[in-house]
Amino acid sequence: MSRSAQASLSRLEEIVGGAQIIADGPDIAAREVCGVRPAVVVQPAEPAQIADILRFAAEQRLAVIPTGGCTKLAIGAKPARYDIALDLSRLNRVLAYDPKDLTLGVEPGVRVEDLLRALAKEKQFLPLAVPFADRATIGGVAAANSSSPLRHAYGGARDFCLGMEFVTGEGTPAKSGGRVVKNVTGYDLHKLLIGSLGTLAVITRVNFRTFPLPQTQGTFVATFSSAEAAFDFCREVSHSVLTLQMVEVASPGAAALLFSGEIAARLKPGTWSVVLTAAGSPAVVERHQRDLGHLSGVAKAEEFLPLSDADALPVLIQLREFPMLMMERVPAAAIFRISAAPAAMALLLRKLHVLAAQRDLDFVALGRASGIFYAAFLPKKDPSSAPPTMAGVIGDVFATCSEPELNASAMLEWCLNQLKTSPEVVWGPPRPDFGLMRRVKNSFDPKNVLAPGRFAGGI
Amino acid sequence: MHPQLIRELQALVGPQAVLSSPEDLMLYEYDGSVELGSPRCIVFPSSTRDVAGIVRLANRYETPIVGRGAGTGLSGGAIARNGGIVIVFSRMNRIVEIDAANVRAVVQPGVVNLDLSRAVDHLGLFFAPDPSSQKSCTIGGNVSENSGGPHTLAYGVTANHVTGLELVLTDGEIVRIGGKNIETSGYDLNGLLVGSEGTLALVTEITVRLMRKPEAVKTLLAVYDTLDDTTESVVDITVRAITPAACEMLDGFTLRAVEDYVHAGFPKDCAAVLLIEIEGLREAVDAQAAEITEVCRLHRAREVRAARTDQERNLLWRGRKEAFGAMGRISPMYYVQDGVIPRTRLPETLRRIEQISRKYDLQIGNIFHAGDGNLHPLILFDERDRAQFARVVAAGGEIMRHCVEVGGALTGEHGIGMEKNELMPLIFTPEDLALMERVRAAFNPVGRLNPGKVLPMGKACGEIRVPRTPASAAIPA
Repeated sequence: MSRSAQASLSRLEEIVGGAQIIADGPDIAAREVCGVRPAVVVQPAEPAQIADILRFAAEQRLAVIPTGGCTKLAIGAKPARYDIALDLSRLNRVLAYDPKDLTLGVEPGVRVEDLLRALAKEKQFLPLAVPFADRATIGGVAAANSSSPLRHAYGGARDFCLGMEFVTGEGTPAKSGGRVVKNVTGYDLHKLLIGSLGTLAVITRVNFRTFPLPQTQGTFVATFSSAEAAFDFCREVSHSVLTLQMVEVASPGAAALLFSGEIAARLKPGTWSVVLTAAGSPAVVERHQRDLGHLSGVAKAEEFLPLSDADALPVLIQLREFPMLMMERVPAAAIFRISAAPAAMALLLRKLHVLAAQRDLDFVALGRASGIFYAAFLPKKDPSSAPPTMAGVIGDVFATCSEPELNASAMLEWCLNQLKTSPEVVWGPPRPDFGLMRRVKNSFDPKNVLAPGRFAGGI
Repeated sequence: MHPQLIRELQALVGPQAVLSSPEDLMLYEYDGSVELGSPRCIVFPSSTRDVAGIVRLANRYETPIVGRGAGTGLSGGAIARNGGIVIVFSRMNRIVEIDAANVRAVVQPGVVNLDLSRAVDHLGLFFAPDPSSQKSCTIGGNVSENSGGPHTLAYGVTANHVTGLELVLTDGEIVRIGGKNIETSGYDLNGLLVGSEGTLALVTEITVRLMRKPEAVKTLLAVYDTLDDTTESVVDITVRAITPAACEMLDGFTLRAVEDYVHAGFPKDCAAVLLIEIEGLREAVDAQAAEITEVCRLHRAREVRAARTDQERNLLWRGRKEAFGAMGRISPMYYVQDGVIPRTRLPETLRRIEQISRKYDLQIGNIFHAGDGNLHPLILFDERDRAQFARVVAAGGEIMRHCVEVGGALTGEHGIGMEKNELMPLIFTPEDLALMERVRAAFNPVGRLNPGKVLPMGKACGEIRVPRTPASAAIPA
């Protein structure tokens, strides 16, 4: 180890204590980002230490990436530099929970599953049905803006996050928003941090509004012979007065991951499935069952199945964990997260399917009625021969999404590291708004300390 | 103002679209707030290209620019504090596209809020943000201020409904962010821009989500003999996690003024009423209405009645939405505040406002979004009485400080503008504000755009600025 590296370690030890510095072993490997490993893992216990670490990093031109449950570090482009992994798992307290006001303030290291359990005691929840639920932390979910099927009814994190505290790339603690459910005091800087992959600031507190747990829930599956029929059904549902919690459209390949046992046996292979949940009083759920049964009949569904709570639970978990399951199943998969206008989804899926077929790839898609979907391209044969094919299809996907009739926004959320040869592979070709994003980055992190190179436009 | 600039503006947008005579300028000195400021020139662009051209001219002549919709804002956001050019968007009032399949609309900034809901009514859709000024305020203004309204309790504020913007930046460049899709990869620039009060860019086109009209709507009026019972009901509704679409409170003083004006059927001898609306499927609405009625009765509501017809319902809402206007009948002027508190702190806060009213010998009416803790104390005054006006300012500051002390915010939907920018240090540290200043400078480097708004101009004083005594009564629609 060089003398300067040794000096850096000593300074970091001064800030957080020697036991909270890890310079080798599995903790380093676990915090690898797209094949790049940090020199050291630092485990601060409080925001003041984070500020000291970031100030030091800014002075020394070191690059820092905040980490939590280490479940989504593979998202984003390959970082240009990466010296310090800032492990936030010690900041794991619920700082304020006022169930009567339905508001909450938590540190970033709180695990989503633990938080949901604590809220359930008060018959409340956060609509974060996000992947890696057992390990993911609130900070990571916010920074990656993880997709949740419940966005359909409750909005995304940007809609129910009330404010944040954070430390900028210069090591300055700051905040925006607040703790109340309605607030236009000052710029909503916290919205910028949602989905920023740790490139603007290190989140130290997130305030949310919480929601009452519904009295009962009903889950229904309808299957269709084609994607068009499935989306036609979704359109009819969205044009109805029904108030669904989520509406998910699964391609035949995705359905194979969602359903097992008796349900899988009942569904005709090769069909597109729509999974819907309704919540509220028993009368409300019954009404949904009746109306959805009728609408699915009109839409010529092959099947319409109300699921028992016991049968629904594994399906809902698989829906939540979809990208993780996909990667476990096919590690060489390229999984896009695409946001499209609802009426464009069927056409876009058809085009993506054609792209996959042209390159002899399998195609699996899970669409969310909120307008966000996962599109996975899977090599059929020997995965080692896949990269050139995958690189080709990736470019095609971005080109297709930018067609004016579709106007969708795509990012390649998961793929093999070796494919990440440039930020464009992950974020797509340069866009006019990248310049504005660069200006935002410079205001938060002028010395480019935080996750340099990981974000859109090479930010 | 440089006469050559006026001539160049006239050449750009046509002589009819530029005003610069003193009598014309006077009409743009004020908005819905108690603030004043004199612009040097008013321009009415017809296109995004016009706006970009005006911005480039303003840069060349080093002149401030302020965007303005209908001028109904309540924090001075549309006032030309440092003079300069006011860009009024009233000619850019076209609904560009109604995309029913995607439940989106694309509108120019000058489209009046209610006009959009009317235009999509036949499709069973509506635009959710519904500020009381919705008959006249524009969607461009709603975007700037991140406006709310009674139904934001269930549907969220403007930021929750904007998916795309076209911007003219301070150098005249035109950039689009977002689109019809719910999110765009990269930083959430829509989230930053909505509510930035015209200090980051000029918005020239807006893509919004439309909402589907619910199957059933029920409007309840709960009548109380004490303020405490009223506020305790709101707390209890929140605690029981019942989520009405709207939960509005009018105190007795306010509703008597309203009733004399609107004849909505509010009982004039009560201490306060709650106006509660429930929306959704028939089954859900019936059950929630029963639950809410029970809670209100538990807290000694003298009467809980449901509007029987649409006409009755509309009348109740007219009473609510025209309440500010009704104040004009009993007071020459009022100062409305917009503080937010945690909803559980409502009872003590209303008691505090009562004390403050007595302490300063001022009449304060309360009519507000109780369901989300967004207060609107209306402090009545006569601007000719300068001593009284000083008390108004002091009382307002005290209410604001109380909101901050109980963990609240300075503004829930009216914006900071030039009314509360010097109060920002009550909430934010110098570091917080320095970061916001840097973000502003990233978009608006020389402060050309809407100067003197949102962020404090002096250094961290934390004292309420004493506005100059207003010269005329401004009453928002």
